[in-house]
Amino acid sequence: MKDISKSVEKIDAKEKISGRMKYVSDYKMDDMLYAKTVRSTQCHAKIKAIHLPELPKGYYTVDYRDIPGENFVKMIFEDWPVFAEETVNYIGEPILLVVGKDKAVIQSIIRDITIDYEPLKPTFEYTKSEVHYHYTKGNPKPIFDKHNQHIEYTYKTGYQEQAYIEPQGFIAYLEGERIVLEGSIQAPYYVKNAVVNTMACEADAIRVIQTTVGGAFGGKEEFPSVMGCQLAVAVHKIKQPIKLIYEREEDMEVTTKRHPSKIVMTAAIDSNQKIAGLHARVALDGGAYVGLSSVVLSRAMIAATNAYTIDHLDIEGDVYRTHTVPNGAFRGFGAPQMIFAIEMFMHHIAHTLKIDPFAFRMNHLAKQGDLTSTSGTFRDPILMPEMIKKACDISNYHEKVKTYSDPKVRKGIGMSWFFHGCGFTGSGEAKHINAKVKLKKDDQDVVHLLIAAVDMGQGAKTTLMKVASHVLEIPLSQIRYANPDTDEVPDSGPTVASRTAMIVGGLVARASKQLKAKWAKGKEVVVYEQYQQPDYVKWDEETFTGDAYPAYSWGVNIVEVEVDKATYEVDVKKCWSVYDIGKSLDDLVVLGQADGGAAQGIAYGYLEVMNHKDGKIQQKNMTDYIIPTAVDMAQTETHFIENPFALGPYGAKGAGELTLVGGAPAVALAIEMAINKHITKIPVTPEFIMELMQNDDR
Amino acid sequence: MTTVKFTLNGKKVTLETDISRRFLDVLRNDLNQTGPKEGCGEGECGACAVLLDGHSVNSCLLPLAYVHNKEVMTIEGYAETERYKVLEEAFIHEGSVQCGICIPGMMIAAESLLNQNPNPSETSIRHSLSGNLCRCTGYNMIVKAIQRAAQRGKGLW
Amino acid sequence: MVKHYLPSSFQEALEIKHQEDVMLIAGGTDLMVQHRTWSELPPQFDKPLLFLFNLAELKYIKKDANTLYIGSMTDLETLLYHNDTPPCLKDIIALMASPAIRYVCTLAGNIVNASPAADSLLALYALDAKLVLTSLKEERIVSIESFITGPRQTIIKSNEIIKEIQLPHQPFNRVHFKKIGGRKSDAISKLAFLGLANVNQDHQIDTFRIVLNAVAPTLIRLHETERTVEGLSLEAFKHQKDALLEAYNTAIKPIDDQRSNRTYRRQAALNLIRQFIETL
Ligand SMILES: Cc1cc2nc3c(=O)[nH]c(=O)nc-3n(C[C@H](O)[C@H](O)[C@H](O)COP(=O)(O)OP(=O)(O)OC[C@H]3O[C@@H](n4cnc5c(N)ncnc54)[C@H](O)[C@@H]3O)c2cc1C
Ligand code: FES
Ligand code: FES
Repeated sequence: MKDISKSVEKIDAKEKISGRMKYVSDYKMDDMLYAKTVRSTQCHAKIKAIHLPELPKGYYTVDYRDIPGENFVKMIFEDWPVFAEETVNYIGEPILLVVGKDKAVIQSIIRDITIDYEPLKPTFEYTKSEVHYHYTKGNPKPIFDKHNQHIEYTYKTGYQEQAYIEPQGFIAYLEGERIVLEGSIQAPYYVKNAVVNTMACEADAIRVIQTTVGGAFGGKEEFPSVMGCQLAVAVHKIKQPIKLIYEREEDMEVTTKRHPSKIVMTAAIDSNQKIAGLHARVALDGGAYVGLSSVVLSRAMIAATNAYTIDHLDIEGDVYRTHTVPNGAFRGFGAPQMIFAIEMFMHHIAHTLKIDPFAFRMNHLAKQGDLTSTSGTFRDPILMPEMIKKACDISNYHEKVKTYSDPKVRKGIGMSWFFHGCGFTGSGEAKHINAKVKLKKDDQDVVHLLIAAVDMGQGAKTTLMKVASHVLEIPLSQIRYANPDTDEVPDSGPTVASRTAMIVGGLVARASKQLKAKWAKGKEVVVYEQYQQPDYVKWDEETFTGDAYPAYSWGVNIVEVEVDKATYEVDVKKCWSVYDIGKSLDDLVVLGQADGGAAQGIAYGYLEVMNHKDGKIQQKNMTDYIIPTAVDMAQTETHFIENPFALGPYGAKGAGELTLVGGAPAVALAIEMAINKHITKIPVTPEFIMELMQNDDR
Repeated sequence: MTTVKFTLNGKKVTLETDISRRFLDVLRNDLNQTGPKEGCGEGECGACAVLLDGHSVNSCLLPLAYVHNKEVMTIEGYAETERYKVLEEAFIHEGSVQCGICIPGMMIAAESLLNQNPNPSETSIRHSLSGNLCRCTGYNMIVKAIQRAAQRGKGLW
Repeated sequence: MVKHYLPSSFQEALEIKHQEDVMLIAGGTDLMVQHRTWSELPPQFDKPLLFLFNLAELKYIKKDANTLYIGSMTDLETLLYHNDTPPCLKDIIALMASPAIRYVCTLAGNIVNASPAADSLLALYALDAKLVLTSLKEERIVSIESFITGPRQTIIKSNEIIKEIQLPHQPFNRVHFKKIGGRKSDAISKLAFLGLANVNQDHQIDTFRIVLNAVAPTLIRLHETERTVEGLSLEAFKHQKDALLEAYNTAIKPIDDQRSNRTYRRQAALNLIRQFIETL
């Protein structure tokens, strides 16, 4: 049989290249109305009064009083209102929608709305903890008492905006009594479940259909549920189709971003100059509402030891509430912050101990059979030594380290090691998601993949169809995979957490096998599969003990930079990567993930600046929020080492997030070498480099 | 209302409308060309790019009046050309397409470049894409596709 | 709806401008951004627009023995690839916006928009550009520095249109341009630096220019300071380094904003000046 890794023409490439592919902003319907959101201009205030102008016929406002069910958006933590009621908690919080036919009229209505506020005292600091987690491994306390050489560093990371090129959007309409929502989303069933809760209706009263997604990166995981709920309420009230597409500035100011964080790391060093124990205190800025920040926090905490084995751990974390835009899912999901911290910390310990960072890290590298941070087991082979060697060889790493360590040379090379747990954290897959897939062969012998997984560009359609095609031994042209529609597909879970290839793909492979066995030419055959947690995976949610993930993908990134002496600007010269993603389901698809992930991960480390001033986002458009252009992006050289995972389809593990998480520490370490200063904060902007260089002590 | 005349994908168009309207809106709403997309509305992303007398422009910033007496080609029209086929093959071959929202704009930028310079260096390819943001691919696979198209399409540009 | 004008000759444009309070629009790359409202709605202007870019009469690049004449509707892509465009202006244009924007936008627009971060102004200031301001009855020629009086402020009169930009030919054998943006291309300047000098065969500095943007309300060029070094030998010039740096350090007044901060702007500006001086 053909090697599944060999690339095929991407399923949707032609339609996309030619501009024929329709995205939600291209949809139009008869009698369609437009909606625009009226938002809080205050970061924390009581709403004393809302003065509405008289509305022309055919124009409406929709607010919390129109909600039939509960006024919160059902996600993990139930605190995020669909519409603000008495108080507002961040600038940009939605208060009401204005809906009508003519955008100009809507604009003028909005101009005439005045809202009286009574300002309340806002918080922007890490003071109000909403979620607190804590876990230990081994016996950290006695270890810290025994080894009294303690090294402590504090790391800080900033916002990152997903900056998908297609802004958020939906179109909603009635189909009889039912409400249909079509939108640019990653998780059709998240939207459906949230809307059912807000509308207090039966599950089958709501239908959610994914439109082709123009980029998501986590930004369309939970946030669309907010818009979906608002639109459902509006359609229920007005009974006409309504379209709601965010403007770029609106999208940048009010949608979820990567959590800023502060991470304090303390290590107890033993007499062999090894880390005997590690403390980590993780603080995430959750913004005004917790949403799914608690899950982001747990992924960050579990990544505390990254690709290293440390026997004694005491890891604590909090999500803090602040009066800023709520933060949420973004490719990597807590891991990028933590992996930045630990990778820098390993170097900073080595510098403090005056030993070679490379040897120090090698001494701690995790091996097959070691206990994970949560006392689970790394069951599968870990190929990191081989991967590290490869990465060093192709980049000439060790030579360059020698040359660039000369303080006069303003060049640097940085290497990060990292892993990413595939699938939902802990018992997420088994307890909360319980993914199902359905395959249907119709009487024309065409096979339909009926799954909720969304192709948001990462190539899920291509790879999952290939899995089915290989198992069934039929050509791709005999397989269909439409954008998920909750009327047609069972809940295979959201398209997040690097779970689609491995978990959903695994189910597709099993279902295909089943279908193959039941194949009856010219007859309709339907098969189902459901996720089963492997027996060996045990997880205790309360204590954070056991196997947090069924499998891990691994990676090495090496980044080379040069820092301009006069302007402190960073020039990224090249990026080398080696990954273990089990088995590639399509070489070009995974290469695309690698390049795109590197672009975002590296830019997170040195380029992308977003901050708020008294709760107001300062970089609120594409001019001010800088993402890399083709000129900024360095050449990449990427290799994949095969290490098939028994339970993944053809051995595949996750690849989507892995490729982002190592970028920031690699570039930060490179800059650190170039300027010969410790870096404890990202993004490492020219402004920050200047500050560091003016401080003479290392 | 002023009358504006131009050619769109080889066909003559005459419009009577507010000539300060964004050309992007005219294309998408009045002329049913939805290949150009709105990614930012402020000239940064290039998703709205179209060819004006053979050069890429951002239709989100272009007042309709600007195209008066000019030749416009959208991705829909470009898709009918020989040159398009070469670029299409290259984009597929190099795996350059992910979410796709930036891709019609990338095609327009590539055409505009090759039209000016059939043998571009890697550096000039990168600079020619500087007004086209892609958040998915990290650009390298797009740059390679344009290199491939330049090679394989020799004589076409 | 306001009525907009699409004149077919410069004369007609001048007449309209004479009779009515209209807003001039060239490429629109500043105006269409500044006046945008909600996608699908026309931009919001409180005056009628007078569209200039279709005027072929204003699209030209000509020269005589002393001067280069640039018609005000010449787009930046044309300038970028034209043989007669001064090298320093080419360097600058190559890093302005993107090819698609450059194909429609103009020097006139960059000038009248009068942003402290405008890039082309570096060259126009350094090269002593002159502007031809035309109205129905009159024509006057003013220097670029007297034209711009503050951020977004100029001395243009309500009936005037910039017809032409004139650049006197001046030889420079040292050109150093550096733009610092948030990224390597398509970025608004955090600050930008242009240093020009002509060093003659006797190693004397004939002419010396430094212009900076985004470090003060308008671009910085210090004529007095330039004069203090012109005529000096390179040897003598190097001794003036500290005095020069001090002069610029006093003149610049950078601010904090969403793109950068004042400390960085000042430091980077001084570093670039030092670098230029040291490499002369
Ligand atoms: C994505 C993007 C990137 C950009 N990057 C840069 C950059 O890197 N560097 C930079 O400096 N700028 C940049 N700009 C700003 C802009 O492109 C420039 O200022 C451009 O030169 C403006 O020219 P225009 O013809 O488009 O001006 P318009 O928007 O048409 O006009 C600007 C102003 O000039 C007036 N005006 C125009 N023509 C005349 C005339 N003949 N007589 C009198 N008044 C006139 C108008 O009334 C208006 O006030 C960028 C803009 C965008 C959208
Ligand atoms: S939509 Fe026109 S450049 Fe982004
Ligand atoms: S492919 Fe998604 S933005 Fe380019």
